[in-house]
Amino acid sequence: MLDIIQRRIFMDKETVRRVAMLARLELSEEEIESFTKDLGDILEHFSMLDELQDLDDYGFNPVEVVDVLRDDEPHQEIPAEELLRDMDTYEDYVRGPRLS
Amino acid sequence: MSSPISMSRIRDLNDEYGMFYSLGDGEGLDGSRFHFSAKDNLTTKDHPTTAGSKILSGYRPPFDAAAVESLREAGGVLLGKTSMDEFGFGTFSVNSAFEVPLNPYDRERSCGGSSGGAACAAALIDGHLALGVSTGGSISCPAAFCGVFGFTPTYGRVSRHGLLDYGNSLDKIGMLSADCATIAELFPIIAGADERDPTSCGHPPIGECRIPDSVGIPAESVKGLPAALRESFDEAVTTIKDDMGIEVKTLDMPMFHYAQPAYYIIATSEASTNLARYGGMRYGARGKELGQHFDRYFTAVRSENFGAEVKRRILLGTFTRMVGLRDRYYLKALQVRQAVIEEYRRAYKEVDAVLTPTMPFIAPRFDEVADMSALEIYLADHLTIPPNLSGMPHLNIPCGYVDGMPVGMQLVADHWDEGCLLQAGMEWGRLFGHVKPEVKI
Amino acid sequence: MKIGLEIHVQLPTRSKMFCACPTDGVAPNSAICPTCLGMPGARPSLNRSALEMGLRLAKLFDCRIPERTWFSRKTYFYPDLAKHFQVTQYDNPVGEHGVFDFRGKPIRIRRVHLEEDPGRIKRVGRQGEEMSLVDYNRSGIPLVEIVTEPDLSNPAEARQFLTDMLTEIRHTIGLSDENEQSVRVDCNISVGVERVEVKNVTGLRNMERALKYEVVRQTKMLRSKKTVVRETRRFDEERKVTLPARKKEFEEDYGYIGEPDLGVYNIRAIAESLDEKETPLTRAKRLCEEYGMTEGISRQLINTSMDLCDLFEDMAAAAGTKASLYLVTDVISSNWSRIKGILDEDLRSEIIEVARRYSDGSVNDLEARRLLRALFSDEEEDTGSTAKGDPALLEAAVEKAVSANPGIFDDYAKNEKAANRLIGDVINSTKGAFSSQEIVLKVKERLERGP
Repeated sequence: MLDIIQRRIFMDKETVRRVAMLARLELSEEEIESFTKDLGDILEHFSMLDELQDLDDYGFNPVEVVDVLRDDEPHQEIPAEELLRDMDTYEDYVRGPRLS
Repeated sequence: MSSPISMSRIRDLNDEYGMFYSLGDGEGLDGSRFHFSAKDNLTTKDHPTTAGSKILSGYRPPFDAAAVESLREAGGVLLGKTSMDEFGFGTFSVNSAFEVPLNPYDRERSCGGSSGGAACAAALIDGHLALGVSTGGSISCPAAFCGVFGFTPTYGRVSRHGLLDYGNSLDKIGMLSADCATIAELFPIIAGADERDPTSCGHPPIGECRIPDSVGIPAESVKGLPAALRESFDEAVTTIKDDMGIEVKTLDMPMFHYAQPAYYIIATSEASTNLARYGGMRYGARGKELGQHFDRYFTAVRSENFGAEVKRRILLGTFTRMVGLRDRYYLKALQVRQAVIEEYRRAYKEVDAVLTPTMPFIAPRFDEVADMSALEIYLADHLTIPPNLSGMPHLNIPCGYVDGMPVGMQLVADHWDEGCLLQAGMEWGRLFGHVKPEVKI
Repeated sequence: MKIGLEIHVQLPTRSKMFCACPTDGVAPNSAICPTCLGMPGARPSLNRSALEMGLRLAKLFDCRIPERTWFSRKTYFYPDLAKHFQVTQYDNPVGEHGVFDFRGKPIRIRRVHLEEDPGRIKRVGRQGEEMSLVDYNRSGIPLVEIVTEPDLSNPAEARQFLTDMLTEIRHTIGLSDENEQSVRVDCNISVGVERVEVKNVTGLRNMERALKYEVVRQTKMLRSKKTVVRETRRFDEERKVTLPARKKEFEEDYGYIGEPDLGVYNIRAIAESLDEKETPLTRAKRLCEEYGMTEGISRQLINTSMDLCDLFEDMAAAAGTKASLYLVTDVISSNWSRIKGILDEDLRSEIIEVARRYSDGSVNDLEARRLLRALFSDEEEDTGSTAKGDPALLEAAVEKAVSANPGIFDDYAKNEKAANRLIGDVINSTKGAFSSQEIVLKVKERLERGP
């Protein structure tokens, strides 16, 4: 059953740093240390999935959700002012951080 | 159905047990049809909704979650928002920026999680209905630890409009109560299609309600169970056979073994995208300086306001969907989910429902929780994960006490077959000697 | 030289792709809701029209349409992206492996997919310290992305290709001309070996400019034995140059996962149920073949409007090709902007009747034009001469025009085209009593005679 090559995935600090950057998280050295260990343990546990051969069948939901469509009718339930109420705005634009 | 209850009594209970992050004003409570609470990851209009996270501090949603809206329309009064693990990430309700709920049977112990506050409220407030949310066992686990019924419907049965997402293909809104009849009565109010959540559309109505003729116990599920829990479970099985007249079989469900990694991969992959939106614009915690480059700005807000478990799961989920790893983890996990569903289908050809213990131990003390590693905590969910991964409806049924702490069993039915679970729960409730927690106020 | 295009077109739906917000919001943040603001707890629901438009385009390009499609999350952080992931398509898009017949040259279409537009960012503050102000009206507007293989061989061809393609797209999904600015293109161009991508160029003209600039830049580099690096550039519309896009701190990894809030769509079945209309370019081809018109005229007709083509074909059926084509290319085309707003069944039959009368000779060309103009105009027109065809009247009208144009004989001696001045005057003053042919003959005769 096991004709796949078992490539072990090792978790190292470099990988944790890169993943943290992708996820926009800044980690302290301590956090990097502990997450590297935790994720290493967890991935080791996950490696049991490598025992299973690929199966053809999968879906994105556990039950069938097929062809659920909405008619193209414009409609706004909540007034825009109410949605903007607690936001940081300038002339109704939402303020955001610097781009470059 | 509700016995007299006052907001001052609720406040007193909350002071002792910390099951609510925030309370309502109790308007209309006198003479109301029923009272309910909502887990704090369900939006409540103009009322704080934090999902246990600092990153949502100050957020007042502009709309009610569908389930909250339906219960209010049906004459229910919202008592408050219940405490939980941050974004549902946990098994003991200790991973949060706010109050940790204490177990109604022993305040040194955890309520379980992530719907810990909901289970605590259900156990302590007479006639109460608590809305909970389960992704991988977040209703069953705290229900078992707090000795209440915890009902998780089929995936898609209840609209997720207004639910702060953890894993969208796994999240299910359900109900906890000390009395299964309360759940059976109020569940139809929140069930059904809602065009605001496409995954809630196009499923069959709640089927006829009948007690299952037969249940199957997967041999794997009782392996390694501590002796006292095993004894309690076996006793319950005897009652099921002898007093309820249900045939009990043993099943072989080897795919259960793989459900756990598959679950964590799907849940964290989805969660890491869901939580990307929290970056200090539009709602919740803001950054200090908009003059920062956006990468720095988002990074600072997220790093300061997410708790450790949230960071851990975001990292895990981001990793498992990366280029080159996606096939190995994410797509493989989706395939395993399909295989687990098929395994349940095979079981339902032989029996009407699948029965297991709910948790492999009684509610742990907080000091024990603190000593557990991340992986050990993940492994504690191994019995609640299979039905959650596969979207099967399930019910935690309080079935005994070990060292004065409640123990539960979990009954799992086929997709859309919630009726048989609730019937079985109500029938069990008539036979079971429920021990109310002693409230020390 | 190889050029491939990634073309983004906003779909002309009334509501947004995943929420019911209107697509025509003007005031900033007026067309918004929890879904397109990415607020916690709000979720998407797919607009049927957006899906159908995507499928119509996939059919237009003869794509392979998979049995099922679904959406995916593409995660990246940017202030205009409400959820910090874009709902787009990754596996199984609405169409793959299509082709577009560009004037006999097949241009392969790699894929057609649907996605949501992010919000629009306004930059404020000094350069280098810009803050962003975000308008979410655009957030969630449906887009189709069409990706071609690198089958185009120069910038002019790329522009012609895109012009033709847009003609077809516009008709297929009912996109109006004004929306043309909402076409955004990522251009991939390699003169030598290495490919350069110029991202997010708006409109056809800018696209051609950006490509031309790249051809020159890359050719120069190759001539001086420099290596063209594989990179992403942007087009500066004001300076009309391409510039290296700002280097990011690190490469994003979009980490695509299936969108679990929407489910799947059985699109092959949906696509089969959609009716297929004749596209403008196939119609142009058929008009040439069926009515013997030139390619130029057929293009002029389809570019004006498919409704004009319908009118022409109805007229031709009743009054023959020659008379109908004359009236359509002349007075009807020039008044089309008026006609298209008022063309109902009554007007259509009246137009056809004029064409029929012109065709059987009961009215001459000028009279037919005048009658038609009267149909299109609100004003009561002078019903024209009653003394139809009286040669003395024509004589008098010509003399009147001669005296109103002193120096006309000298002008005519220098350039025969000066006759047009008199012809115009006589046409106006006789109000259709004489055919243009009669007037031209008479005027020329008079001018030849001299003062």
